[in-house]
Amino acid sequence: MKYTPRQPESNVNVTPTSHLREFFVLAGGLLGLIVAVYLMLGLAVDLMVPHISIDLENKIGVHFFQSVDGKDADPQREYYVQSLMDDLQERCAKLPYRFKIHVREASTVNAMALPGGHVIVFTGLLDKVSSENELAFVLAHEMGHYAHRDHLRAGGRAVVLMTFSALLFGADSSVSTVLGHTLNITELSFSRKQETQADEFALETINCAYGHVGGATDFFEKIPKEQDPGKFGHYFASHPENRRRISHLNNIIRSRGFNPAKRKPLPEAIWNSIP
Amino acid sequence: MYDLLIFLTLIAAGYSVGTLLEKRHYRSIHKREKAFLYLPAVTMKTVDYPEEKIRSAELVYGSVVISIDYFKKILAGLRNIFGGTVKSYESLVDRARREALLRMKEMAGDATVIVNVRIETSTISRKANQEGVGCLEAIAYGTALTLEK
Repeated sequence: MKYTPRQPESNVNVTPTSHLREFFVLAGGLLGLIVAVYLMLGLAVDLMVPHISIDLENKIGVHFFQSVDGKDADPQREYYVQSLMDDLQERCAKLPYRFKIHVREASTVNAMALPGGHVIVFTGLLDKVSSENELAFVLAHEMGHYAHRDHLRAGGRAVVLMTFSALLFGADSSVSTVLGHTLNITELSFSRKQETQADEFALETINCAYGHVGGATDFFEKIPKEQDPGKFGHYFASHPENRRRISHLNNIIRSRGFNPAKRKPLPEAIWNSIP
Repeated sequence: MYDLLIFLTLIAAGYSVGTLLEKRHYRSIHKREKAFLYLPAVTMKTVDYPEEKIRSAELVYGSVVISIDYFKKILAGLRNIFGGTVKSYESLVDRARREALLRMKEMAGDATVIVNVRIETSTISRKANQEGVGCLEAIAYGTALTLEK
């Protein structure tokens, strides 16, 4: 056998191909898949929410609550608001939650219902209210969201992702923690219908608690017309919306024969001690 | 955001530098393969030379470790999701094996022929292919025969 020295002309072991093109095709495909899954998660919320148990909600609630910046401030008013909430729950709105009030220092006139029964009340709201009834209405409104589990629906994809993560990896796993930090999970948006239902729930609740509905619409009426509506969170989304809600509440008050009566003042000792 | 920036920088650096180095390596491989054409390396176990004509027979080997660049690693990672031929690793394996053969020939010096040549490949990595950049070792070995003139 004779050996003929020669070099092969082509290399059969290396495919002549553009790696860049392959990279963009594959990365594009993957990105497309992620977007599709993300969009589908949004649709999955309504299917999933009724199946999330309170127990599981309490577990994932920690992550939602921790993603809100800031610390609890104002222990005195927090204690008062907590006892008001507990009283409302015990007497008039028996919900399977253990509500925990967190008073946070912020000028926002708003309160937030987070999964797991964590209610965040901003000091801006506490400074604005002038009677216990008014505050009770706002708290009962948040309870209304819990009663209809709107707060889970409003959390959207974040709730779906957190639920899956808690089920698959456990609620305290690093995956859940990272998700909790990454997702913008406190950006809740409620629909008009959900707000109306929560208003109705609140009206029933304070009528039960006080025997009258005085102060129920105070909060909406108080907002000066020139005030920037954006500052008032979801209670005061827009002025026409406010007027609609006030008249809706007044209609219910008239039709059910609820009695608008005197407001109960806020505990002066606590409120006046605030500088 | 910073993470993404670092990631993109690594990919760009991996692609540009990796492509440059690979081209240079292939040029060198082609040049040296041409220079070593006089020395056949075959997989046959026996040759029909009379035994008294064989002056020496000794083990020769050449080994090389080559690393994948970041861009190709990511590309292979994407391939892992969808499946198919991992083209980005092909040139890596090809270069490693050919380089190992060349080093083996260099070790053989003025031998007449290298018989019973084998090539083996293994991965060298902290956790093969999971973390860090994958490294590949190729070793070629055979028996170099030197014949009486």
